[in-house]
Amino acid sequence: MSQYLPILVLAILAILFGAVSFVASRLLAPNRPSAAKSAPYECGIVPTKDTPQRFPVSFYIVAMLFIMFDIEIIFLYPYAVNSGELGIYGFFAIGLFSVVFFLTFVYEVARGGLDWGPLGQARDLTSLAEMVSPERTATTTVRRVGSEGRFPVSVGVEEK
Amino acid sequence: MAVSELAGLFQGDLPMGSPMVTGDPLLDGPLLWAPLIVVAIKVLVIFVLGLVGTMFMVWFERKVVAGMQNRVGPNKAGPFGILQTLADGIKLFFKEDLLPDRADRFVFRLAPFLAFVPAFLVWSVIPLGGDYSGGRDGIVTILGQQTRVQLADPPIGILLVLAMSSIAVYGIMLAGWSSGSKYPLLGSVRASAQMISYEAALGLSLAAVLVTSGTLSTSGIVASQTTLGSWNLVTTGFIPFIVFLIAATAELNRPPFDLVEAEQELVGGFNTEYSSLRFALFFLAEFMNTITMSAIVVTLFLGGPRPPAIGNTALTIPLIPGALEGTIWFVLKLLVFLYFYVWLRATLPRLRYDQLMNLGWKVLIPISLGWFLLLAAIRVGDSNGWNVIAVVVIALVSLGLGYLLFTAALRVSSRQRDREGAMY
Amino acid sequence: MELLVFVAASAMVLGGALGVILMRNPVHSALGLVLTLFGVAVHFVALEAHFLAAVQVIVYAGAIVVLFLFVIMLLGVDSAEDLKVDGLTIQRPLAAIIGIGTVAIVSVAVLRTRSTIAAGPALEASGDSNIRLLSRNLFSDQVLAFEITSVLLIVAVAGTVLLTRKQSGPTGARKGS
Repeated sequence: MSQYLPILVLAILAILFGAVSFVASRLLAPNRPSAAKSAPYECGIVPTKDTPQRFPVSFYIVAMLFIMFDIEIIFLYPYAVNSGELGIYGFFAIGLFSVVFFLTFVYEVARGGLDWGPLGQARDLTSLAEMVSPERTATTTVRRVGSEGRFPVSVGVEEK
Repeated sequence: MAVSELAGLFQGDLPMGSPMVTGDPLLDGPLLWAPLIVVAIKVLVIFVLGLVGTMFMVWFERKVVAGMQNRVGPNKAGPFGILQTLADGIKLFFKEDLLPDRADRFVFRLAPFLAFVPAFLVWSVIPLGGDYSGGRDGIVTILGQQTRVQLADPPIGILLVLAMSSIAVYGIMLAGWSSGSKYPLLGSVRASAQMISYEAALGLSLAAVLVTSGTLSTSGIVASQTTLGSWNLVTTGFIPFIVFLIAATAELNRPPFDLVEAEQELVGGFNTEYSSLRFALFFLAEFMNTITMSAIVVTLFLGGPRPPAIGNTALTIPLIPGALEGTIWFVLKLLVFLYFYVWLRATLPRLRYDQLMNLGWKVLIPISLGWFLLLAAIRVGDSNGWNVIAVVVIALVSLGLGYLLFTAALRVSSRQRDREGAMY
Repeated sequence: MELLVFVAASAMVLGGALGVILMRNPVHSALGLVLTLFGVAVHFVALEAHFLAAVQVIVYAGAIVVLFLFVIMLLGVDSAEDLKVDGLTIQRPLAAIIGIGTVAIVSVAVLRTRSTIAAGPALEASGDSNIRLLSRNLFSDQVLAFEITSVLLIVAVAGTVLLTRKQSGPTGARKGS
């Protein structure tokens, strides 16, 4: 247990360093709070929207999957450290475990649990064909330079 | 199993699988005054080294990035502007410490410590030097006490680094949440999902190192890399090294993975509401983590402070005592990675969040898991005298099957997504 | 020394546990839980179970409480909940039964094995002995339990998928991902 003693001492020293700096800063720094200073940061404008309260479910999935990977990793380490002694039996045990685990992961991926970003939305671009074309048209006189060939005029799923 | 039996199991004879006795010999005996003084000296040295090293790193990064962008960089404070960081740090002492109205006061004050203290603690398991000449195995003598040039050598060794990086997630997560403001919250949610994702890749590539080293102790990992050919970089076959390096960059929230503080969209990320010293602590933690993570890469894959050696002939620096030589090699190896990180920052554009997550989950994690199994198969085949070629072929075929399965899964999910997108 | 560590760790465990129950804000409760888990890790270290201590911090504090915090933070449950409203009427009596039952089981176990615990020799685990013994045990006697753990992980993933993925079809598609 004494191997941990220096770590403890270092931790205490680090915390003390932080605390002492705070005291020093308290003594040295000005303290003139105002309503504008302590308002939530919004680049200088008056905040119009509240802080978002809900986040996409993908974040929870990631946290959930991470627990599983952590468990897998924790089981890998004893094998990894002692692989020489465990031999064939141990290898097939960890192999079977990893294969089952991998299949689970594949299932999650196949069900789209790890897809991020917005859905690619199908847009009917035929109605936009005129807009997309670089020529001047009846509806617009602005030439769209540089967009030639960039938008597929046919109906299709836009690439994400 | 009865308790007494279990206790007997703990005391039971262990196979001498590990080639070396790990642990710091300094702390094995009774704790008398001399060892305690050595511990105190070591703690102080590490502490000062941590702060000075971080100051150096900030200066180094600014100077090198400036060079890469045809600027001069800091050049006023001290020679080559090397004292610029110190000046900045002192300035922060004199800045007003703001506490936002909407903040959760307790957590807001706690978060900088949760980022800063783990960053410091990682230093304690890194072998910073040592005397490797004449089979001394990194042991040096200070004040008549034999010790390693690392603060502590606990049995969990490298797992302490993983544990600390999982604690560091809290610092960022809680800093963003407690600010009660939207940009910090967005930044911290991104950051914590990113950090836990890449921690999985980090842990899996670490497993490959443990297979070849056969020990968790950092000094043991260094001791197992005696020659250039037995550096884990070579013995694990480069892939874990690359995965580890990428995952470490993401774990550090450094460019090109710095979505946490993507200043164009999130102002300053999780620490937007922090000012004065609280901000300084986050800043310190960030750069200290860069140094310690590079040091971990050096320890795990490049033999730590060991001089490069081919066979029995080690490359020695003339006129330098052996005890100092390890530190010099360590610093040289460390600088390579510090430069590499700065280089990445100056070169690469930031990833998009879905690209980041895809890289972590769909590329790095499957690769490192597959590579771990391949390494394990080769080792088992090796110790049982199986035909190496047959083992490799069978392993590669099974990994190929896994790859096909995985790409099929990716195709299924993207088709599903297209279908859903088409419904809007 | 041993006693000091024991007292400190127990204070962490108990203080954290009290914090979990008494704090009004769920995030503070989760932090109390982290403190408790840390205290347990310190206890493990004091018992020379180094690997378990590391696992305790990495898995419990590093992954599971992070998930808790994600749920608390991202669902916006940050204001104090009204404790008078009970979502599931059965959960309070059930919680009481489980709590009392656990205390009873643990106290009986401690009382009955008191003599063996007291007689046990001082534990000393150096280097990697911990993880080696664990691996020997895990990959021989406990191998079935080990493999079944992977099945448990399947169940967890299937549950995640079921709870989080929307139904495919025109009705479910608009719920958003």
